[in-house]
Amino acid sequence: MSLQLTHINKRYGNNIKCRDLNLSLDPGMFLALIAPTGAGKTTLLRIMAGLEKPDSGRVFMDGEDVTKVHVRKRNVAMVYQQFINYPSLTVFENIASPLKVAGYDASTVKTRVHTVAQQVRISEFLDRLPQQLSGGQQQRVAIARALAKDAKLILLDEPLGNLDYKLREDLRLELKTIASESEAMFVYATPEPLDALTMASHAAILEGGQIIQMGDVRSVYLRPNQIASGRYFSDPPMNFLPATVSGGQLLITEDVHVDVRKLELSLEPGDYVVGIRPHHINVTPTNADTPPHTYEGATWMSAAATVTLSEIVGSDTTVHLEHEGVKLTALSQDVGHFHLGEAVTMHLNSDYMHVFVPSGKLVASAKAVRGG
Amino acid sequence: MATVELVNVAHSYDGSKTYAVKDINLSWQDGVASALLGPSGCGKTTLLKIISGLLKPSEGKVLIDGQDVTAQSPRERNVAQVFQFPVVYETLNVYNNLAFPLRNRGVDKAEVDRSVRAVAEMLELTPYLKKRANRLGAAEKQRISMGRGIVRSDTTAVLFDEPLTIIDPQQKWHLRRKLKELHQRLNLTMIYVTHDQHEALTFADQVTVMDAGEALQTASPEELHHQPAAPFVGYFIGSPGMNLFDGKALDGGIQLADTHLPLAPDLAEGNSVQVGNSVQVGIRPEYVQVSRDAHEGWFPATITRTMLTGNALMLELTGENLQLKAIVPEESPLQAGETIYVHFPHDKVLLYSSRQDGGKRLETQVAA
Repeated sequence: MSLQLTHINKRYGNNIKCRDLNLSLDPGMFLALIAPTGAGKTTLLRIMAGLEKPDSGRVFMDGEDVTKVHVRKRNVAMVYQQFINYPSLTVFENIASPLKVAGYDASTVKTRVHTVAQQVRISEFLDRLPQQLSGGQQQRVAIARALAKDAKLILLDEPLGNLDYKLREDLRLELKTIASESEAMFVYATPEPLDALTMASHAAILEGGQIIQMGDVRSVYLRPNQIASGRYFSDPPMNFLPATVSGGQLLITEDVHVDVRKLELSLEPGDYVVGIRPHHINVTPTNADTPPHTYEGATWMSAAATVTLSEIVGSDTTVHLEHEGVKLTALSQDVGHFHLGEAVTMHLNSDYMHVFVPSGKLVASAKAVRGG
Repeated sequence: MATVELVNVAHSYDGSKTYAVKDINLSWQDGVASALLGPSGCGKTTLLKIISGLLKPSEGKVLIDGQDVTAQSPRERNVAQVFQFPVVYETLNVYNNLAFPLRNRGVDKAEVDRSVRAVAEMLELTPYLKKRANRLGAAEKQRISMGRGIVRSDTTAVLFDEPLTIIDPQQKWHLRRKLKELHQRLNLTMIYVTHDQHEALTFADQVTVMDAGEALQTASPEELHHQPAAPFVGYFIGSPGMNLFDGKALDGGIQLADTHLPLAPDLAEGNSVQVGNSVQVGIRPEYVQVSRDAHEGWFPATITRTMLTGNALMLELTGENLQLKAIVPEESPLQAGETIYVHFPHDKVLLYSSRQDGGKRLETQVAA
């Protein structure tokens, strides 16, 4: 199936959710719709589903205008953050309900329920009631129900948001497998960058009622086209550092600068904002020459910094730094300890920098994160 | 602030048929930032309620500064709590919300003003002091809740029950950092309950990992990562968690599915592993070595999937009847479908007894 949204406008009173929004999805895509809470993700999903009509604009499925077609006739399925199952029906009956509504015969219903139950690994719970299951299992039932009806478009609204962190990690991998075995198009709304990176083939960033960037997930992640993209699609948050270009140097502070030609960029003199992800900043003890995990030919900007906080995050360590009043976050991919107030040397890998104008648009990305 | 201790604490909600928490012995030193980490249903919230006094344990004692407080109410224990959802007086302004716990205890006006302003400053609430709580967003309201938790200087301990659940990822980073700063500034005894390892590990100096009512390990974030005391700890800490395999100890190595892990012979001669024993073998994905070239002792595996993790590339691998994950730098050219070679560095391999034998960590000596 293909899906197009053209010139969609939608507002609730003064609250504008879609502002001349355009989005075009090709068959087989798994789209992650990334935006913070309240940005209009749910509204957009509901417009795609036909649960909500846009104030203006059109929705096309496989080239056909379905803007006015009712949700029941669109062949879509939706999974919500609050798992919705019928409490008095068994898991089997829950999954079977949309199939019965659609008028399938009993043996087809049985086969389909068993197939999807196996896919989402709940076969052994088919006779139980939803409340006898854990949160993760209940959400699998909801996903199974969406899969069972063989919808062409499956819309997921933060379906893992209420689940334990570790369970979310496991279910992401499962959902990716399920999607790869399904012919449906998946649209997955989430504020979590990791959801998108792990599962999606494509990513779209929603801000101010518009899709500000859309593309394959890797390119959107590696090359944000504006500051907002980098901000919403980054965990831990991308560092944004005010910078100036003058005399052929890109300067963040007096000590942190790099020759613009070395970056293979052409930048006019003026004010900019440099975006760099925490894992492209390394921290070493004072005066150590080379940062760890280095690769040949990296262009480092090194300077003294003070540790303001060090946190172990899973398998990584986040180090919060201060240098000449500039606050930065670095991430090293091991578990280490830095002390509060410790003097260290920070190394910014300028090959991974993005240069934005202060108003937000990308001017250029350094060589390691440029297009191609 | 005070030292909090649990002595042989157990609790059953159904008259001793099943136990939500089993024989817990834990202590939190004065001023320590600590966390209780585990999946839903592991008993961590039960434990928190026992500490605060909302729940009297079926067995065992709660001590505060050595004094038995098991029979005392939350108010008598003087323990502050911050819950998952903000608890604020919607119609009061931020100042009066923060002042409430102090006025409630008859603190004099000048002291109230001083404390409220200091807490507001720390939590970046100063600009909102005159605003009514119902005008603010979820993140600000939760900051008010935290402020109410820490505003009193005579609190025994501050307990946090998944306080960042409803906060957006970007805001979470900020609030997590604020909490840590608060602790460093105030030196309060803080106990933080969560299912989210990131929150627990960033906040706490001492983390207790719980599963099925048991406290499996209490240690620093670093130790939990390097030396998980049980396979569950290895799985639960780290993203993705530790790879875990069933194996059998042989003379001079370990048989893992179709591959022989050529660990140094000393390993099998260690006093805890006997030849023929079933064992569990753990290795973290970031320590699995991979190469396109064959080396002696490395085994072949096929990359079934690759995934960006945000700062690295994760490989899913299948080889020699083992399924595992490996983490490589994001620049890695490796692709799904390739057959590569895999190695487990000996000093990164952890051994545990079999599931039947309780999955206990086996101390072993590895020869150089």
